[in-house]
Amino acid sequence: MAGKFFSMRNLKFLLYEVFDCPALAGYDYYSQHNRKAVDMVLAAAAKMAGDLLWPILKEMDEHPPRLENGRVKVHADVKKILKEAGAGGWIGAHFPAELDGEQMPLMVGSAARFIFAAANYSGAVYADLCAGAAHLIAAFGSPRLIATYVPRMLSGSWQGTMALTEPQAGSSLSDIVTSAAPMGEGVYRIKGQKIFISAGDHDGAENVVHLMLAKIEGAPPGARGISLFVVPKKRPDASGYLADNDVTVTAVYHKLGYRGAPITELSMGEKNDCIGYLVGEPHQGLKYMFQMMNEARLGVGLGATAIASAAYYAALEYAKARTQGRKIHEKDPNLPQIPIIEHADVKRMLLFQRAVVEGSLALLLQCSLYADLEKITQGEEKERNHLLLELLTPVAKTYPSEMGILSVSAGLQCFGGYGYCDDFPLEQYYRDARIHPIHEGTTAIQGMDLLGRKVVMKDGQAFLLFAGEVDRVIQAAQDEPMLAPLSEKLREAMTRLQNVTLHLGRKARTEGVEPFLADAVLYLELFGIIVIAWQWLLQAQTARLALAKNCSQGEMNFYQGKLFACRYFFGYELPKTLGLAERLTAADNLTVEMPVNCFGD
Amino acid sequence: MEILVCVKRVPDTSENEISVAGDGKDIQRDDLVYSVNEWDNYAVEEAIQIVDRAGGNVTVVTVGGDDSEEILRREMAMGANNGILLKDDAFEGSDGKGIATILKAVAQKSKYDLILTGAQADAGAAQVGGMLAAMMDLPYASLVNKIEIIDDKKLKIGREIEGGNQEMNEINLPCVLSIQTGINEPRYVGIRGIRKVASVEIPTYGAGDLGLAASAVGVAGAKVKKIDYFVPVLGDGAEMLEGSNEEIIAKLIELLKAKGGLK
Ligand SMILES: Cc1cc2nc3c(=O)[nH]c(=O)nc-3n(C[C@H](O)[C@H](O)[C@H](O)COP(=O)(O)OP(=O)(O)OC[C@H]3O[C@@H](n4cnc5c(N)ncnc54)[C@H](O)[C@@H]3O)c2cc1C
Ligand SMILES: Cc1cc2nc3c(=O)[nH]c(=O)nc-3n(C[C@H](O)[C@H](O)[C@H](O)COP(=O)(O)OP(=O)(O)OC[C@H]3O[C@@H](n4cnc5c(N)ncnc54)[C@H](O)[C@@H]3O)c2cc1C
Repeated sequence: MAGKFFSMRNLKFLLYEVFDCPALAGYDYYSQHNRKAVDMVLAAAAKMAGDLLWPILKEMDEHPPRLENGRVKVHADVKKILKEAGAGGWIGAHFPAELDGEQMPLMVGSAARFIFAAANYSGAVYADLCAGAAHLIAAFGSPRLIATYVPRMLSGSWQGTMALTEPQAGSSLSDIVTSAAPMGEGVYRIKGQKIFISAGDHDGAENVVHLMLAKIEGAPPGARGISLFVVPKKRPDASGYLADNDVTVTAVYHKLGYRGAPITELSMGEKNDCIGYLVGEPHQGLKYMFQMMNEARLGVGLGATAIASAAYYAALEYAKARTQGRKIHEKDPNLPQIPIIEHADVKRMLLFQRAVVEGSLALLLQCSLYADLEKITQGEEKERNHLLLELLTPVAKTYPSEMGILSVSAGLQCFGGYGYCDDFPLEQYYRDARIHPIHEGTTAIQGMDLLGRKVVMKDGQAFLLFAGEVDRVIQAAQDEPMLAPLSEKLREAMTRLQNVTLHLGRKARTEGVEPFLADAVLYLELFGIIVIAWQWLLQAQTARLALAKNCSQGEMNFYQGKLFACRYFFGYELPKTLGLAERLTAADNLTVEMPVNCFGD
Repeated sequence: MEILVCVKRVPDTSENEISVAGDGKDIQRDDLVYSVNEWDNYAVEEAIQIVDRAGGNVTVVTVGGDDSEEILRREMAMGANNGILLKDDAFEGSDGKGIATILKAVAQKSKYDLILTGAQADAGAAQVGGMLAAMMDLPYASLVNKIEIIDDKKLKIGREIEGGNQEMNEINLPCVLSIQTGINEPRYVGIRGIRKVASVEIPTYGAGDLGLAASAVGVAGAKVKKIDYFVPVLGDGAEMLEGSNEEIIAKLIELLKAKGGLK
């Protein structure tokens, strides 16, 4: 058996048994994606991941991108990966048929994305970036921009990027200074510098298309003055000839992990000949970006979960094979050593990983489902799905990102000394996973987004809808003897969350915004644990139903395993909300109060 | 060119740990993940490439249960034009000759210029292609690793022979070829191909539709019967090398030198 990096059984459990993904085929828009199609899509993704991405996981880490003569050189297979991702419709999976897309539900696409990223996160991001950038053009660009760029990006021959960050503007995007001077007819001369741009240049693609934020000369200050441009590396003329567009790669960064993908520093307009094409209306750039942000943030959550999944399956295999020590009550030194998976503490580490990986994956598929439903429903129903997705996106980005690191760390720990050495991929996963709390908005930014915007928006409507969703699962579980105590625990935790939220609301009114948001990251942590508990209870319910029917021994083990992992989450993780709630309802504002000069030493 | 490719659904060895079932008559099949036999997938790719060059249609056919439909659909998502499922309780327990008998019946329902099978499948018998050719009185070549079209009457084919060498032959059409892995690089299945075939009806034929007597196929017609499956007992003399990779390599070199394997 080749190395296992994800569980098809678990994916199918979530897609079919928990979320009834094939029901989406009942809607016209998704009608071609029935159960048979989804089965085949998953199998095809697994095959591609296993053949194309997984074998070069280590190579891509050991031979990171290099800048040579102004061009970034990446692993030779990147070109093939992009080509296959284009030809197979993976890049265009969620695009409408009019744009030659596949109209596939995001839920299925997320599952595929998870499989690819679990095989090799760096190898998988190139195609994801093409899809994200093309999506922006398709949503807000002119027909001409769409016709010129989208097909080439969906085919994987042109790389797409998101070019937001600048040296002085990372978390604070409103401070960008890259400028755009109007030349008429939506064409602008671009000048400035961007840093940390993923796949900002490489020799696996014919051209690179940057979706770039810049300020039109004379634009209002701050976020309201930011516009979105298409800035190609080479600009096509009417005959299709690609002329140099004065975008220079000035550096590739040397990173901790995620080394198979180049992160570049770009300089635009060094020869005063960099052209950008305005996307949509002037000054709407940040708004456009944010409208497309949910999918990108779910993508980060999926990447984080995927790496943790690969680490878990490596640790599981090792724990079954590695013998060390004897049962704690066993005194006879002549007995052979036992596999470490028999030690309670190793089981604890494995359960922790499952709890994080499978809980996160469930949440990400749940969010994808809200996105799919938002697309095809109308009126109140559409708004409901929209609000739930908005509220849960910062959680679905952050919980897997932050907990994924701890999960991979537990996987590494299962390997003992070998985990720390490069004989096994755990040390790489540990490095690779570290990016996720940083890009697409740091955890601090997500915390403020959740508490400062999402929870309070529309008079707390999204929060109420979420409480309703959780309550539905609690109600359904409380009649089931085994699940009733868990459902009671979740009810208590929800009450705790509501009390904390009310407390913080009062703080906002009486003490102002800084004390209100000072511990937003802790609030996000508290919220995240409860959200994942909700997803675990949902999975446990499904497992109970399945166990009530006849199933094979293998299936029985699978469902029983689910119940144990759910109990683990409620027994070991959910109680952490007590400590968090205590801190979040404390009267003092310690971090706000501490003067910066007290950090003198 | 009208091409028929015979395909089989088999346990996916990259996804499963294979073990012998309790009764020793089969492998443990509960919860196994299945996929298309690897050799057959090469055969389908080759057929698609021939049709891309010379025109015509690729039809994939399998003898199996309802579950086998999924591999037909998969090969159709890859580019085969038609699929046929041959399903009947009477087919169960067929030996190689029984399968060839069923395939012959379906092959004779239409006119095919070329029939491809995989060199072998999970049972490792490598017999169906040859038997099918003999029963249909068609020319046959095994272990085919290259196909060139000469004209509509002849193909030039390469066969893998001892030591990785290749022999070239001309063969008259219609014929049966069993395909060796490595003949091409099978394409990946994409979402687009999947969408097109997800809802197509795949025709199913039983013994009656094919004019086959139930006694000629299945358990009733089988002259070869599996009687036991077992994992060989580990003999003495095996030595597990232990230690770090470097230590294991050093020990291995030492052993190879000691036993004359390395000078
Ligand atoms: C591997 C990698 C890939 C990337 N890919 C891209 C890409 O493709 N396109 C792109 O545009 N960018 C990309 N980035 C940039 C990334 O989005 C930024 O690094 C990120 O947004 C943080 O910005 P920064 O690095 O400037 O950190 P800073 O903004 O300087 O943040 C430093 C620390 O201060 C905290 N902080 C900052 N402001 C606040 C505040 N107001 N309140 C509380 N805490 C605050 C942050 O949370 C963080 O902990 C990438 C970065 C990396 C490392
Ligand atoms: C950088 C580095 C430097 C080192 N330096 C030295 C050195 O100078 N000298 C030296 O002698 N050694 C050294 N070591 C070895 C180190 O002490 C061992 O790696 C460590 O003791 C763990 O042993 P192991 O690697 O065999 O892991 P294992 O013992 O196989 O442990 C694997 C996992 O199983 C768990 N486990 C094992 N047994 C039990 C049990 N009974 N109950 C519960 N859980 C269990 C462990 O906690 C761990 O999570 C070094 C290792 C590294 C990585």
